[in-house]
Amino acid sequence: MPLVLEYTLVFTTVLALVALGGMFSERSGVINLGLEGIMVIGALAGAIVTSVLSKANCPNFLNVIVSIIASMISGWLFSMLLGIACIKFKADQTITGTALNIMSTALAVVIARMYTKTPSSQVDYTRQIYMFSYDGNVGIFLIFMLVATFASYVFLFKTSGGLRLMSCGEHPQAADSVGINVYKERYLGVSISGILGGLGGFAYIVQSAGQWDFKYGVTGFGFLALAVMIFGQWKPIKILLAALVFGLCQTVAIIYSGTLGIPQFVYKMLPYIVCMIVLVLTSKKSRAPKAEGQPYDQGKR
Amino acid sequence: MNSTFKDKIKSVFSNLRNRIRDFFVKGKQEKSGLQKFLTTDAFKNFLSSVICVIIGLLVGIIVIVIVNAPNSAEAIASILKGGFNAPKWQRGVGSVLVNAIPLLLCSLSIIFAYKCGLFNIGAPGQYVIGAMFAFLGAFFLKAPWYVCLILSAIGGALWGIIPGFFKAFLSVNEVITSIMFNWIGLYLLNFVAGPEAGIMYNENLAECFILPKSSLLPTLGFDKMLSGYKYVTVAFYIAIILAIVVRIILNKTKFGYEIKATGNNKDAAKYAGMNYKRNLIITMAISGALAGIAAGCFYLTGYEVYSATKQTSLPAMGFNGIAAAFLGCLNPIGSIFSSLLITHINVGGGYLDTTYYSKEIGDLISSLIIYLCAFSLFIRLTITKIQNRKKELAEANNATPEKNPDVKEEKVGEKECH
Amino acid sequence: MSDYVIEMINITKKFPGIVANDNITLQLKKGEIHALLGENGAGKSTLMSVLFGLYQPEEGYIKKDGKKVIINSPNDATALHIGMVHQHFKLVEIFTVLDNIILGAEPTKYGFIERKKGAERIKKLSEQYGLSVDLNAVVEDITVGMQQRVEILKMLYRDNDILIFDEPTAVLTPQEIDELMKIMKNLAAEGKSILFITHKLNEIMSVADRCTVLRKGKCIGTVNVADTTKEELSEMMVGRKVEFSVQKPEITPGEVVLEVKNVSVASKIHKGEAVKNVSFNVRQGEIVCIAGIDGNGQTEFIHALSGLDKVKSGEILLKGKNITHAPIRERSKDGMSHIPEDRQKHGLVLDYSLEDNLVLQKYWEPEFVNKGFLRRKNIRKYAEKLIEQYDVRSGQGPITICRSMSGGNQQKAIVAREIDKNPDLLIAVQPTRGLDVGAIEYIHKQIVSQRNSMKAVLLVSLELDEVMDLSDRILVMYEGEIVGELDPKTTTVQELGLYMAGAKRNVGENHE
Repeated sequence: MPLVLEYTLVFTTVLALVALGGMFSERSGVINLGLEGIMVIGALAGAIVTSVLSKANCPNFLNVIVSIIASMISGWLFSMLLGIACIKFKADQTITGTALNIMSTALAVVIARMYTKTPSSQVDYTRQIYMFSYDGNVGIFLIFMLVATFASYVFLFKTSGGLRLMSCGEHPQAADSVGINVYKERYLGVSISGILGGLGGFAYIVQSAGQWDFKYGVTGFGFLALAVMIFGQWKPIKILLAALVFGLCQTVAIIYSGTLGIPQFVYKMLPYIVCMIVLVLTSKKSRAPKAEGQPYDQGKR
Repeated sequence: MNSTFKDKIKSVFSNLRNRIRDFFVKGKQEKSGLQKFLTTDAFKNFLSSVICVIIGLLVGIIVIVIVNAPNSAEAIASILKGGFNAPKWQRGVGSVLVNAIPLLLCSLSIIFAYKCGLFNIGAPGQYVIGAMFAFLGAFFLKAPWYVCLILSAIGGALWGIIPGFFKAFLSVNEVITSIMFNWIGLYLLNFVAGPEAGIMYNENLAECFILPKSSLLPTLGFDKMLSGYKYVTVAFYIAIILAIVVRIILNKTKFGYEIKATGNNKDAAKYAGMNYKRNLIITMAISGALAGIAAGCFYLTGYEVYSATKQTSLPAMGFNGIAAAFLGCLNPIGSIFSSLLITHINVGGGYLDTTYYSKEIGDLISSLIIYLCAFSLFIRLTITKIQNRKKELAEANNATPEKNPDVKEEKVGEKECH
Repeated sequence: MSDYVIEMINITKKFPGIVANDNITLQLKKGEIHALLGENGAGKSTLMSVLFGLYQPEEGYIKKDGKKVIINSPNDATALHIGMVHQHFKLVEIFTVLDNIILGAEPTKYGFIERKKGAERIKKLSEQYGLSVDLNAVVEDITVGMQQRVEILKMLYRDNDILIFDEPTAVLTPQEIDELMKIMKNLAAEGKSILFITHKLNEIMSVADRCTVLRKGKCIGTVNVADTTKEELSEMMVGRKVEFSVQKPEITPGEVVLEVKNVSVASKIHKGEAVKNVSFNVRQGEIVCIAGIDGNGQTEFIHALSGLDKVKSGEILLKGKNITHAPIRERSKDGMSHIPEDRQKHGLVLDYSLEDNLVLQKYWEPEFVNKGFLRRKNIRKYAEKLIEQYDVRSGQGPITICRSMSGGNQQKAIVAREIDKNPDLLIAVQPTRGLDVGAIEYIHKQIVSQRNSMKAVLLVSLELDEVMDLSDRILVMYEGEIVGELDPKTTTVQELGLYMAGAKRNVGENHE
């Protein structure tokens, strides 16, 4: 596979997974600024579990499954910190999300060091078992991403669960008045974002390298995913396309870095600059879920 | 058997509860100064911050015990001792001060923007650009320290104006813009301070050159006070003065009146003829300048030499500023104390035995504190509820005259302290 | 079987500092339309919230068909087939009509929505009760009248047989109101029982069978509508005789203060114009009223006039000076005062103290600011003066946080602030919305006294009574155009309604 295509698929996979997570959270009415942190925690759990299982000579198939599930569960648990604070205690969603991001890196380093038992926070693992070909970069996460995109589309627009979830992000009072439990739907939205965010984090590190130093977090990918979500207008198929655009951008930034006589730092900035341009272009017509960011209080009607 | 024990505990608790109740109830009847104070917002804010810190520390201690139980006592001690771990306590205090000063300035940056209804998560970006401008002043212009400091403020202001501009004229949310420009700023600084630009990069040590003497902030005798610790400088006074200035601007001036009105109700501010876009951009410029000067006040002390190759993620200072701001109840004076406290914990984290613990435990505690600060509304409401319950009881006992029915029950706790 | 489908017996509900419902009994017969009358703050909403399971009463109980029931949540209420059309519609704007109706009660197969099945059922219902809706339209695109029909269908779709209508006519034209009344009678004839919350006496007289009156949380009584009069009901509601008309001396209008020439304003919702080619003027000593149904461009026009939004084309002259593109502050200095439509959104900074709000339009004057610093003493003095002069009541005087004040006093504070500016032009947009009779009378008096002292007043109102009582001239706005200019002395509410509905016009035709 040509390197450009390979890298693009890798980044698209990660961005789409995480952006879909963000979409579910926002569709239910909770801004999830903590996606970055959720990714870190998911990545950490996946990395440690797969590393442990490899050492224990666990069959590859089982290893992959268990590690992926671990990354999802840990992402979910971490997202519940946001859920409980913002849904039950009506905390400010932006501040809570930011706190989670800061907390995630510190926590990840502490845990990684506990695991490595050295002053280094780098975790080694076997990445090849996740890949299609032994030396390739594209992993099985691609399948997860495609399934998640399709399933999200069907869930949101074809099932009663999706209709109810979206109503909570648009007009929670209306949802409540027809007997929908707004709190439950929002927990559901945040949970899905935690699961997909955790998986996305794991997908990111596994597809990128065979070891990961957790003091670097996930280098801003969670924030890019948020931009992908906005660019994708909170709709699954559009998010996939948006992720493709950003993935390509990130690929160009990496593959061509330092060439063409343009300094390296310009390439590093490229995804963020493209992101800004896209946001400016879409800001006028972009329509976020109406009630996102507002805590829902049953008492106030 | 078990029930007697339970009863005992129950009676102890109810006794305690009654005592507290009596205390508050009496307060309502007599209205003494202290008890009146206990129902003020200032006290509630203080109490909720104390609760956040205590819970944050407790969780930190639990983490320490989980990581390595046998050495935990020592570790907890060093976290609590903070700067006083140093062999010479004066130097320890010095290292707390050096780090607390930029933290305070970053928290002032957050506070200022927040009062205008903006969440300046861009402080880290403004901080790195402030550092870049200070470095350029020092290495490129060979400018004296005060020029470098002003340059750092200008750099931060420029980086603050960008999200302000995007919000005012292109209606892009400032949070997402700030996040993007944080990274753009970091890469820009790393280019300027790194090997590619090569203006100030010391290849041998893989970091910047040592700052020229003229660009270093004067110590004004602090070094003698702190037994030769030379990194506490004029920045100390600058930070304190700026905290007071921010408070005065917010509370006493027309501009403060306008930006707080904007922060509380953008539409009403517009209706009253305030220039929303101008105020927004000025606010972001001031906020950015504060974050920028924070970097100046840190790197121009010579305490730490910047390394473009090692600093590959955003400096924690800007983010910790959020913690200090909220822990200080968004009060400039309060944040003086909160930034000292957070730095104290972080410096203590640095003294942990790295064979067992990582120094990030300090960061973990401060991030926990931000997280808990998000609950502060809930905590304050709970305090109010408890106090109201006492009040109702007192009223029931006293049969106080009925309230003016025209006045709705005040909804306390939804506003920040001023 | 009991005569009554729903009985609320001796309900008492207290909130801190206030008894919202004090021993209230309400009994609803099957197939009747039962009005619940009371002023704002009389306890109607609280009582309905108790019935709907949103609040638990301290005392009293509820019976359905003679059996005691406990309603802990709206779900319990729904299970008992109690449904409600809220004053503010609870519709998801981006969903289709169909999705809104089925939301929460979707017909599903393995979790997938069977939209066809739902649509068939709704079609049947809408034919049975004469409620026409477009199922595939998106709610934000349809008229308010249709939105209300969607709300009614929502209840019918859930097989509700006790229907609560909360102030349903506030947003409708007289003709739409007539249609709603017909629908309500239809529903009652089909065996549904209706609770109709309102403070409009005419509507009660025309549809209700019985009426329960609440005042200050107490039940004043239940009467047969056939045996009572409007005057009697209003006295029960307010507790004293109410003057229905406002006293207004004849005065000859003076010079033109405001001149609006061919003003158009772009819409924020669609690509067209929200205000189309509007021209009129307002002279000294007259109250000109813009009447119309909510959402016909009044808000956009006032925003353009006051400078909150941009004018697309045309000119606005204030005392001969062109202010079309002037900033808000300049308009204010030139003598424009504006009592905004939404007092909490535009009129007040709710978390500011009363004194800070009272200087919101003046804080920049040298009296209150010196070299950038606020002159707190002067602000306090000025606030105390206004509070006394305009009788603004609050818990702690000037330092009261406005959020804690009642709606009436919040509005009084705004009126005080705007009138004390001594403006040449006073713009008052729905100045009495949501207020009780006492506050309404007070504000009406203030507006009339401005006119009497030869100020120009532009009033925007949705309340037809207010329009007829206060104004010297009426301009009717329909779909962004002025379609009629009427004299309140020679016109009737019915005729006004025809203009408001766009069925009739007497100006503007030649321009097209």
